[in-house]
Amino acid sequence: MESESNSSIYQNPNPNSLEFAKEDHLKSLAINAAAEEEEVVNSEKRSEDVLNGSMNSNCNERVPTSENEEQVACDSNNEGYREGVIGSMNSVEREEELIVEKELQRDSTIGSVGTDVFEEVGESFSPSADFNEREESKNEEEISNNLMSEVVRESSTSDVVRRENSEIEFDAQSNPSSSGYVGERGSSSASTVSDEIEEVEEDGNFDNGMLAQQNDNSSNGVYDSASWVPGKRHDEEDDTSISWRKRKKHFFVLSHSGKPIYSRYGDEHKLAGFSATLQAIISFVENGGDRVKFVRAGKHQVVFLVKGPIYLVCISCTEEPHEALTGQLELLYGQLLLILTKSVNRCFEKNSKFDMTPLLGGTDVVFSSLIHSFSWNPAAFLHAYTCLPLAYPTRQAAGAILQDVADSGVLFAILMCKHKVLSLVGAQKASLHPDDMLLLANFVLSSESFRTSESFSPICLPRYNPMAFLYAYIHYLDVDTYLILLTTSSDAFFHLKDCRLRIELVLLKSNVLSEVQKSILEGGLHVEDLPVDPSSRTGYLSTHLGHDRSGTESPIRSREVNPGIGGPAGLWHFIYRSINLDQYVSSEFSPPINTSRQQKRLYRAYQKLYASMHDRGIGPNKTQFRRDEDYVLLCWITQDFELYAAFDPLADKALAIKTCNRVCQWVRDVENEIFLLGASPFSW
Amino acid sequence: MGLSSTTNINESTQICVFDLKRGQHEGQELDKILFFYPADCPFSTQLSVIGLSEGLITFTRIFSPDDACEVIEAEKHSHVFFEAEPDIWMVMIIEKNKEAEAIWRIDALKKVLNELHSLFVMFHGSIRAILDKDPGGGLVRIHLYSFIMDYLSDFLLGKKLQLPSFRDSLKERGTIQMLTVGREAAIGVQSLVRVVESSCAGNTPCNSLVLFQDLLVSTTLPPDDTVNLFTYAVLRLAPRALSSATSTWSYLRKGTTASQVATDPIFENAGSGIQASRDTSPSRQGQRHHVPRPLQQGKWSKGKDGFLSTDIWGTQVDNLGSVTPTVWLQQTEERVYVCVYQQKHLTIILLVPVSSIVNGEQGISIVKQQFLENASLKILKVEEKLTRGWGGENAYHVAGYRYLLSDSDRNISRASPPGKVTTLTKDSLLALNKLREEVDLEKSRTKHDDLRCEKDLEVCIRARNNAWVIARVTRGKELYMVLEKADETLLYASDAVEKFSIRYCDGAFSLD
Repeated sequence: MESESNSSIYQNPNPNSLEFAKEDHLKSLAINAAAEEEEVVNSEKRSEDVLNGSMNSNCNERVPTSENEEQVACDSNNEGYREGVIGSMNSVEREEELIVEKELQRDSTIGSVGTDVFEEVGESFSPSADFNEREESKNEEEISNNLMSEVVRESSTSDVVRRENSEIEFDAQSNPSSSGYVGERGSSSASTVSDEIEEVEEDGNFDNGMLAQQNDNSSNGVYDSASWVPGKRHDEEDDTSISWRKRKKHFFVLSHSGKPIYSRYGDEHKLAGFSATLQAIISFVENGGDRVKFVRAGKHQVVFLVKGPIYLVCISCTEEPHEALTGQLELLYGQLLLILTKSVNRCFEKNSKFDMTPLLGGTDVVFSSLIHSFSWNPAAFLHAYTCLPLAYPTRQAAGAILQDVADSGVLFAILMCKHKVLSLVGAQKASLHPDDMLLLANFVLSSESFRTSESFSPICLPRYNPMAFLYAYIHYLDVDTYLILLTTSSDAFFHLKDCRLRIELVLLKSNVLSEVQKSILEGGLHVEDLPVDPSSRTGYLSTHLGHDRSGTESPIRSREVNPGIGGPAGLWHFIYRSINLDQYVSSEFSPPINTSRQQKRLYRAYQKLYASMHDRGIGPNKTQFRRDEDYVLLCWITQDFELYAAFDPLADKALAIKTCNRVCQWVRDVENEIFLLGASPFSW
Repeated sequence: MGLSSTTNINESTQICVFDLKRGQHEGQELDKILFFYPADCPFSTQLSVIGLSEGLITFTRIFSPDDACEVIEAEKHSHVFFEAEPDIWMVMIIEKNKEAEAIWRIDALKKVLNELHSLFVMFHGSIRAILDKDPGGGLVRIHLYSFIMDYLSDFLLGKKLQLPSFRDSLKERGTIQMLTVGREAAIGVQSLVRVVESSCAGNTPCNSLVLFQDLLVSTTLPPDDTVNLFTYAVLRLAPRALSSATSTWSYLRKGTTASQVATDPIFENAGSGIQASRDTSPSRQGQRHHVPRPLQQGKWSKGKDGFLSTDIWGTQVDNLGSVTPTVWLQQTEERVYVCVYQQKHLTIILLVPVSSIVNGEQGISIVKQQFLENASLKILKVEEKLTRGWGGENAYHVAGYRYLLSDSDRNISRASPPGKVTTLTKDSLLALNKLREEVDLEKSRTKHDDLRCEKDLEVCIRARNNAWVIARVTRGKELYMVLEKADETLLYASDAVEKFSIRYCDGAFSLD
């Protein structure tokens, strides 16, 4: 009977298969231990290289793009590796080097991408090839060697960035595929301070980070908690640990053959058995001619997303709607493409058991920071970006110089402050999707090394062209403000550097950067400042966002007087999304939404509201009023905008509606300052 | 044999019952399967369905040990899980098809499985108990097969299973619909119940249910047992069920119960060719055991004495009449005889504990005699009174509103008459279906969080087609509403809910 073939799924989730994996693991651990001495030697070399290296060194592990045929090989031996690192695409000047050195020293203690990369790269070339890998198939080793040789290598001579089309043969010893770095990965990344709590007991009262946050930025409305530590945590865990099972939100990326690529918690390699189970579920349903979307069990949801040879899975008990979780997996996949492009698929075509982890070495921090943004950044579900409030002329001045640059062959010129856009210009007909902006900003912000020097890095904008790399020139103008210039040409570094100098000069002259600092201090829209009759206040443009801060009734002061009240009619917070502009504005957090725990809860409530309003089958709905124990939420969707507003749960309905109307009017009155107007059309 | 009637009835729906404790060794997986619909589905398919189900149950327990897999949503199918008894699972797989209006609410489907199992237990006892009695599984297979196939016959529309879809969003399965009676009538009913229950000899505690049409008038049973018996009464005993197809009105069911084509040969087909190799096949077992089929259609009829009778449970040895059915009550954990008396629209179900009747059928006929002597007159009076006060099929229609009101504590619901609900547009019903799904999720979360804390929720949505779709949950009561011809302002919609709440729900949903 055919029964045997079909009953295979019960084998996979059964503990036996996990046992196997563990056993194999022990073997490889033993082998790795033998190789550790070698590692030490490598690390010494690394520390030398640190001087010249930066995060970008991991570019030399990138997959080639199909468009530009620059297939650059990755060196196999240590020398090659060193060359790759030294020759990374930084043009670091001497003074800067010193700073880099200091920075990296610091990094080695707090764990930044920079050092992470070194661990990764070093390990890849360590002679300790994975035992299992070899046992399984000798062919695979060869294939993966070849693949690696296709991988892009960046090299530069005398600070000139150039990609070469060299194919260097691999030495059989240096198998770059998953070499045993079990447990090592975490050593450099992410300190383990107080992360015990992270997403395990979110609702508990003992979340240090959150308590710490209560004290500061309550009126500042800073979303991202200061306590959040980037990078991988809980490396010691695997699917047998109770603590691992209790994590509130897991993310997994695996290959269609079941090889782990990324896991938010725990070491990927220890999770091989678990990963195989996920793969079995997906392919089992696929064999039945269907595609699994999600599974629900009590408070838990398991959400699946299949993207060609790459499978993404989220296991969560955060009560987020499955649509939102699917959207997060889409973004996670987008982030993967941003680093590797879709041409990574070709590696799987050639070898279905291809191990992708080395290609992503050191990017843990990028993914973990993206996942963190799923609990505070509204852009992740709104598919819109937000701007830092600036006086219209200031933004115009910034836009003008960016436009100037764009006309000289730059595809996109983006000036950002943290996650907020200052100005943005695209070449003719080119448009940037808000999701791409989110991913790009996350990539830049999560990588410590971009802060330290100007960088030139290949990146892919998945919504723009998932197959090809663009080249991003990234430079921080001050501690928060950075410039990204995107181009299609791999040798435009010097041109972009010139552009940056011009831009920087203009920005300094026109005081844009100091205006930015001022705006950061003042914050955006505060619900307490909602004008009683917005339309009557027309001559306010000189003041910041329509409220007069010179008088004794400074909004900040009045907030201090009435803590925990919020705005009129119990308005606590709102988000206004302009549909045509692809932009949103979110009010600053005011008491009582001043702890990061409350902010996260509100974020999730908005997310739920968004999903409820945008059902694919019937949506979008026009209006929604929702009252529960926590809030009164109002959503209003028209052709031009979407408004999401949160009120005190006891708020009066009629007053709340009136207040929403006032908010819309207010936003329209100050749109010159809070939105980037007249940017190139973002029509998709 | 009419084999063709069960083959490829409807491949878009699969239902299976399996026991995770069985067939744990490789090669014995078939032993897990206690029921599979359609029966002629190849074993390989059956095994793969159960393999996936079991795989996911095991998998989800890693993270959620207390609540294993409830639903798998795939692109083309939904798999609905229900753990009927510890380790005994019922899984329903339905095909999604937008054109065929195959859009479901998972909770509604789960309630179908729940109802099916509750009725099964009421008549046959728990699946585990039958398995313990006959570890080979043959007995339970034959019981499940006949029972589920009879149950499903109510959902057959032609040859297709018509499961509750988004069009049934203003219905709540597993609840009772009550008749609202005036004070005087209520007193009449009360005294009737006292008389009826006194028919039992001595001071044995009897129970009774009184129905008018398809609506419950009175019960002395606890809620769960009431729901089961009420459901059965509406399905098979109430006047409309007896004279099926003469009236099309029911709060619970569509009028189209007639699907005789499929019902009769079903049982004979039980062990069609493919199962011949297993000696556990239902048909062979069926020959060895007599298995009553309480849900078989058209088997109840009204006798001259006013009592309903059926030969489902067989006839007495001396051919004096049919065997009186018994059911298992959850609350008292005892078997009771079921005597059903009907006077026009009034149905009275008297439940007499088996333990209290010493001499079986003879004792029952004494009880019946007693019943007729004591209550006949009262029954006539009460029936008349209720008929006079009865507002007809649309008695509970509220102009301008399409609503469902349910009380989960008492398992009671009331809704707009189905004929009125059909006037709603598809878009409105889809929006309501979606909203109900959201509320179901919220409710289940509250359930997981804290049993004491009850959800309080108010949602008003103005859908794309301008209809207002409203949900209110408060203190165990739920109200769902669609207002199609309402003003565009939220305040208008809220006002409408408020008025409804004051007028029909004793202000349960009023804001203050």
